[in-house]
Amino acid sequence: MSLTVVKGLQSEIFVPVTPPPVWTPVTKKISEMTVAIATAAGVHHKDDKRFNLAGDFTWRRVLDTMPSSELMVTHGGYDNGDVVKDINCMFPIDRLHELAAEGFIKAVAPVHCCFMGGGGNQEKFRNETGPEIAKVLKEEGVDAVIMTAG
Amino acid sequence: MQRAIEQIGIPTIIIAALPPVVKQTGTPRAVAPLVPMGANAGAPNNVEQQTAIVKATLQQLVEIDVPGKIVPLPFEYQAKV
Repeated sequence: MSLTVVKGLQSEIFVPVTPPPVWTPVTKKISEMTVAIATAAGVHHKDDKRFNLAGDFTWRRVLDTMPSSELMVTHGGYDNGDVVKDINCMFPIDRLHELAAEGFIKAVAPVHCCFMGGGGNQEKFRNETGPEIAKVLKEEGVDAVIMTAG
Repeated sequence: MQRAIEQIGIPTIIIAALPPVVKQTGTPRAVAPLVPMGANAGAPNNVEQQTAIVKATLQQLVEIDVPGKIVPLPFEYQAKV
């Protein structure tokens, strides 16, 4: 018996909807992967334009050649205390380089993608920023992406 | 964002401090160490813990076989505020 008596009923109250799953199967071993980081933590280079704390759908490119000591965070949505002490808390770039050196992963991607989560124009994020970042990572031959957010 | 990257054909995994939130947004794969927001990849300057979290994350990237699965990780950091 179907539990739905009347089809198509909709709540008048806005409720969060979990979208249907998306899934790309893993085909490579970890030791054969070129890994990139994508983060919503608001990471960027010190010389780069800061994010707008009121909400910002733009993103910043962090080149793998940028030393982690030259990276910083603009994000008003979480306590920045730890990440100011050590950027690796949200952007574990030094750890990735160590893993590449010991052969755990094949390589670290030449570019990483950073944006500021926790607000901003979600439609822009979904339809512009997201696909744009995905395209860049694809073009750079990235095999896997580690994200920090939420 | 994770979904957009996954859609173009790159497998992804998210390190989450707030697993219910990433579940809601439809994550394909996630791990959840016991960390506060802002130190998802481990405590500041704790190289050992950060390495362990990143390694376990990559292992779960390969092991998770069902979309939407969130695997708890046995690493804990409590920020002293």
